[in-house]
Amino acid sequence: MREQGLYSWRNPWFRWSVGLLVAVTVVLLLLGFVVVPSVHPDFTAQGLWAGICRAAGVPAEWSGPPAAVERAPWTTGVVLERSMARAGSAESAGHGGTLASTSCTMCHGAQGVSASNAPNLAGQYPEVVIKQLRDFRSGARASPIMQAMAKIFSDRDVAALASYYAGLPRPRREPTSDGAPVPALVHVGAPLRNIAPCVSCHGGVDHKLGTPWLDGMPKDYLVEQLRAFRSGARGNDAEAQMRNMARGLTDAEIEAISAFYAGTAGAPHAQ
Amino acid sequence: MLHARRLVLAHFSVAFAAFLAALVLGAWQMYVRSPLSEWVHNPEHYYRSVTAHGTVMAYVLPTLVAMGLGYAITELALKRPLIGLRWAWAGFWLLLIGTAMAAITMGMGKASVLYTFYPPMVGSPFYYLGVVLVVVGSWIWVALMAVNLRAWKKANPGERIPLAMFGNVAGAYLWAWTSVGVAIEVLVLILPASMGLTDTINAGLARVFFSWTLHAIVYFWLIPAYIVFYAFVPRAIGAPLYSDTMGRVAFVLFLVFSMPIGIHHLFADPQVGIGFKFVHAAMTAMVTVPTFLTVFTVVASVELAGRLRGGRGLFGWVRALPWDKPMMLAVACSFVMLGLGGVGGLINMSYQLNETVHNTQWVTGHFHLIFAGAVVLMYFMAAYELWPQLTGCAPLSPRLVKAQIWSWFIGMMVLTLPWHLVGLLGMPRRMAYFDYTSPALQSQASIVTASAIGGFILLASGILLVWILATATRRRSTTVEPFGFSRPLHPQARTPLALNGFGLWVAMMIGLTVVNYAYPIAQLASLEQASVPVIPIGSR
Repeated sequence: MREQGLYSWRNPWFRWSVGLLVAVTVVLLLLGFVVVPSVHPDFTAQGLWAGICRAAGVPAEWSGPPAAVERAPWTTGVVLERSMARAGSAESAGHGGTLASTSCTMCHGAQGVSASNAPNLAGQYPEVVIKQLRDFRSGARASPIMQAMAKIFSDRDVAALASYYAGLPRPRREPTSDGAPVPALVHVGAPLRNIAPCVSCHGGVDHKLGTPWLDGMPKDYLVEQLRAFRSGARGNDAEAQMRNMARGLTDAEIEAISAFYAGTAGAPHAQ
Repeated sequence: MLHARRLVLAHFSVAFAAFLAALVLGAWQMYVRSPLSEWVHNPEHYYRSVTAHGTVMAYVLPTLVAMGLGYAITELALKRPLIGLRWAWAGFWLLLIGTAMAAITMGMGKASVLYTFYPPMVGSPFYYLGVVLVVVGSWIWVALMAVNLRAWKKANPGERIPLAMFGNVAGAYLWAWTSVGVAIEVLVLILPASMGLTDTINAGLARVFFSWTLHAIVYFWLIPAYIVFYAFVPRAIGAPLYSDTMGRVAFVLFLVFSMPIGIHHLFADPQVGIGFKFVHAAMTAMVTVPTFLTVFTVVASVELAGRLRGGRGLFGWVRALPWDKPMMLAVACSFVMLGLGGVGGLINMSYQLNETVHNTQWVTGHFHLIFAGAVVLMYFMAAYELWPQLTGCAPLSPRLVKAQIWSWFIGMMVLTLPWHLVGLLGMPRRMAYFDYTSPALQSQASIVTASAIGGFILLASGILLVWILATATRRRSTTVEPFGFSRPLHPQARTPLALNGFGLWVAMMIGLTVVNYAYPIAQLASLEQASVPVIPIGSR
């Protein structure tokens, strides 16, 4: 049992296990970083060392400096932050209320519920109002009226309007809880067409940051926006998530989804 | 006599209670995503269930079984009372509190991120803190295993460490090192984001840290099963262990090679270079060595049993085996599942072949066959073997135990073989529903239905397991036979110094981890603008 000096090259177990492990590791490193990349000319075009660096995952230009390509315009300049979703102070909401009474109520309604085909703002998530107003201001979202309106608001005004509208009572309850027949696209989507269910982002199952509350929105407004996303006329969704969802929708499906969220699909609802 | 009887019993009882609850969730998942049920109306419920099923089956069950079995082996194999019983209870309570915290958070839908976390998705901090408590509780066990072995060595200088204890401590050291990855991921990257201290997370780096844990954790799950193979099976079927040294070699090889291979889970991740992917894939192939050694040694021991019982000829010994003994049946079933699952694993670990099955149901089939099949079946056997020691009950009814083994084996085959098949046909994993009315998927409907039936057979088998264990004390025994481990065929054979300690192998494990992980981690950690906005789950 006694066998002196495990940690000594004279101990065959130590010698063989360490030796074999080092040999195996060195051979594998050579294979992984030299031999395997050499099979692919992309890796070795700039020499052995560049090939090793690429195999190690060092970020590098793969095809020389890029040709001067005009970069496509950003779809939106707004980076959504979680701090935007927090309700502002009462003071801020009060300032927002003052601004709203002079600038917004004509179309969006005295209590943020529109009687025309402008979207409802009552109870809208604050980060949604912030994002859309900033997008109108930068031109990322087009609307002759809203682009002109948004230009007069400072960042502080935008935040104030958002916290004011977030505090107003919503016109309607959760879409999946009121017994109206729910279109399949809304609650399960169409997996084989890569269309996610509306409720996985717009509330019902989950709510994603920057995604608006849709219940009770005017139907014509929803139809128009879905069509705009489908054609690409509207493109201020940062990850193209709405353009990708809308691209596969038929006119009839857009009608059905919009009617459901507007509340005109099932029984008439009180506002 | 077990001094830590109540401690071990507590570990096994909580483990199997949680296991049964998670099994119900698993069966429900199988049902709702099969054509037998309507599409689940709220897919979040499905992911909530998957998170709970995975968290219990991957963290709670194996950790509790490894700990409980470890404490039992410490006393039974070293033949002395456990040192640090109070600490062990503290670890157990930490685990229990952590499990409860995570369970409540998951139940509320605040952490439907799946047990592998998947940043940039981020759930409630209470979920992660619960998992951290489970891991911290298990670290107490690691320390106690080291302390007890040390004390025994001091009292028995130059003696050979019993094989069961050797495997047990190898598993403890493996877990200590492998859990560091997930601990860093949770404490440094996920918790700050989850608590709202940061709005972004380095998701690529987090995934690399998780891969550090993700593959070696599998071997931490596996080691209790291997301890049963080496130390319980031969004795239970009346045979000597063919080679004690081979067992030690298998355990130390797991220690060295299970750690630095996790990047084979990241073959589709662009942030890791192909050189590292290749090295990790090749080293994954090395872990098949201890498994082949184990299969060889255990089959050789079983053959000895057959020949001792009068079996003759090339295959005559197979017929002569004690098939009436539950352990014989269990080891046969376990090896069949280990073999099939292992061959599938060779496909997963091959960089190019993996492309064909990556993120399909094939992978789900693979890890259920290996872990829930081959390994968890041996957890059951460990509990059946220890139960008379723990509760003072008469030996369990072999008829019921065999029924439970058969139903688990059949259920697992019916569950996983169809999964492998639909995986090859391209069915993705982690989906709450499938449109079987589409012509593209219609042919898979019957296969998925079959696997759902497998899920229900497994649920029935799990209920039978808990029933057998819960009602065992109805039949009290006046004398409980002292517990014995397998005896080696050549008890006088010399054990090399290297195989009677862990220093060399732990050093190799750490060294190899540094070679295989240091650069990817350093590079991703120093990369600027590598963080992405977090996606809070269940926050509204």
